[in-house]
Amino acid sequence: MFPRLIMESFLRQRRRKLLAALAILLGTTAVTAMLAIGTSVGDKMNRELAAYGANIVVYPAADTLDVQEDGINIRPATAGSYLKEADLVKIKNIFWRNNITDISPELPLTVTVRTANATQQVPATGYWFHRTLRSGDESWTMGAPALHPWWKLHGSWPSDTGNAIPNEIAVGSDLARQLHLHLGDPLEVQNQSVRVAGIVSTGDATDRTLLVPLALAQAWMGRPGVVRRVYVSALTKPEDALARKDPNKLSPKMHDRWYCSPYANSIAYQIEETLPHTRAEQIRRIAQGESTVLSRISGLMLLVALAALLAAALAVAASMTTAIVERRQEIGLMRALGATRNTIAGLFFTEITLLALGGGLLGYLLGSLLAGRIGEQVFGSSIAFNPMLLPATLLLAVVVSLAGSAPSVWQAMKMEPATILREDA
Amino acid sequence: MSVAATRPETIIELRDATREYRGHAGTVRALDSISLSVSRGEWLAIMGPSGSGKSTLVNLLGCLDRVDAGSVRIAGKDINTLSRKELDQFRAETVGFIFQQFHLIPYLSALENIMLAQYFHSMTDRKEAMAALERVGLGDRAGHLPSELSGGEQQRVCIARALINQPPVLLADEPTGNLDAANQQIVTGLLRSLNQLGHTILMVTHDPEMAQMADRIVELHHGRIVAEREVSLAPHTS
Repeated sequence: MFPRLIMESFLRQRRRKLLAALAILLGTTAVTAMLAIGTSVGDKMNRELAAYGANIVVYPAADTLDVQEDGINIRPATAGSYLKEADLVKIKNIFWRNNITDISPELPLTVTVRTANATQQVPATGYWFHRTLRSGDESWTMGAPALHPWWKLHGSWPSDTGNAIPNEIAVGSDLARQLHLHLGDPLEVQNQSVRVAGIVSTGDATDRTLLVPLALAQAWMGRPGVVRRVYVSALTKPEDALARKDPNKLSPKMHDRWYCSPYANSIAYQIEETLPHTRAEQIRRIAQGESTVLSRISGLMLLVALAALLAAALAVAASMTTAIVERRQEIGLMRALGATRNTIAGLFFTEITLLALGGGLLGYLLGSLLAGRIGEQVFGSSIAFNPMLLPATLLLAVVVSLAGSAPSVWQAMKMEPATILREDA
Repeated sequence: MSVAATRPETIIELRDATREYRGHAGTVRALDSISLSVSRGEWLAIMGPSGSGKSTLVNLLGCLDRVDAGSVRIAGKDINTLSRKELDQFRAETVGFIFQQFHLIPYLSALENIMLAQYFHSMTDRKEAMAALERVGLGDRAGHLPSELSGGEQQRVCIARALINQPPVLLADEPTGNLDAANQQIVTGLLRSLNQLGHTILMVTHDPEMAQMADRIVELHHGRIVAEREVSLAPHTS
């Protein structure tokens, strides 16, 4: 009898049910789209924000302070400690290895450059350009160009296989102008003939330096296999209260939670664990900027989703109120025949739950399609169907529908059969 | 045979039953210290003008309301002591309603309307529901919707629904109020035969002729019983 009553209710109040389902559908469409964009594009956005520089710097624990003048490190190249280049692949073996998007070692030094016109000392930095790292079956291509996507290159990056001493370099745009160097020009650096493969415009002090393959810089310094510092770009979770706590003062349980969250400082901590005698520090300005932007975007998305759900709940409430008023006689009769208040509530809640599941399922499908479109149009990348969102969307649809219909159902439960049945007497 | 054995069993007993309604204009005493006993198998007619307290009395006897003071005992239970849920269950088991407006669910067939009462009582039994429908002479109309039945037929479905759970008390609120003379006669005949089978019938009516069918008539006025008389010449044949 119960399914019969439910089915008849759907058949008889088709328009009203359709409107309620439509409201749920629109609400869940918006929520699914927001969730899909939030989870998928949140990652993409994080990746894009991370592309604007490193958020962790790693240097030897026993290092002396850099001496910078106008952005150029003028500390003697032989001073301080170094990291082993061969160890850097270990960074891709930490707990949050999949969040490490780029590793860019640097080895600054001062070199003697001899051109056709002059001989002078100029700052140079050894970089990876397109270095392939391998660990087990996995491999990744990393280096300075990926870490600094805004660098403008005229020409090409020096070849950088890591296997042989290369003879190509790139020159910062200011230095190239000063030394009257052009693409393909030969020049002598540290008594070695090299060729200008590219001219780089970075917008900072790097424009006044030579950008050389790391192996070449190591050879010129006479220190093979070392790097001075490493910049790491990692996908991180926005900083929250836990991230700001001193991990050494956390309880073991909270420490585990902190350790297993991709905060910039927990990733830095894991890098220090992996590379002994190093210091890994969060580059706070960039990381915090990312956190703020992501928090605000997430907040905005949450607001839109909440507004959509609220609208759905209100629509369901309006639809349910009318439906219950229309069915007063029926409710009164059922109560007189022995139906308890809970039976009446069960009848209406079952109806609205079925409606929510139907509307929610369609909303999930539409929302996923919408997210895909938004992903392509706004973020330039597709957002795949995320099956994990289906139960969440259905649950939300049911909760919102039940919440929206609860006041009306409560009124239905409180209806006195004696009053209703005598209304038209 | 002892005196106790011959005395009819009391199925309904109201003692100083008082019901008041509080509104903006003040408190209205709808029933004012009414005491009334109904024996098992008795047919009681309740009469009185509008506002006399008939509806309030029917609500109390139908376990749809509770007294503010005094007590109402039905089938040995003081309904004021029952929880809301217990009262719902007690109502389903004890009282069968026959309404003036029939109150059939319009989208359910005659048979399903009867099964609805079974459903809220315990569980549905199609055969039993069909038998009830046949008992009121509507076996061939089982699949018909209320809108496809005449007023008299709808009232007979209502009677079959009231009987389906075999309640000891039938509460008929103007059972023939909406019927033409021919259907009135059919419904009256049905009620009489039910009473002869031992059902206790409490019937609210404005119709003095209908009231004459009962064993006893009580008249209400301003919430009080102003007259009570046995119907000595109750016609037992139609």
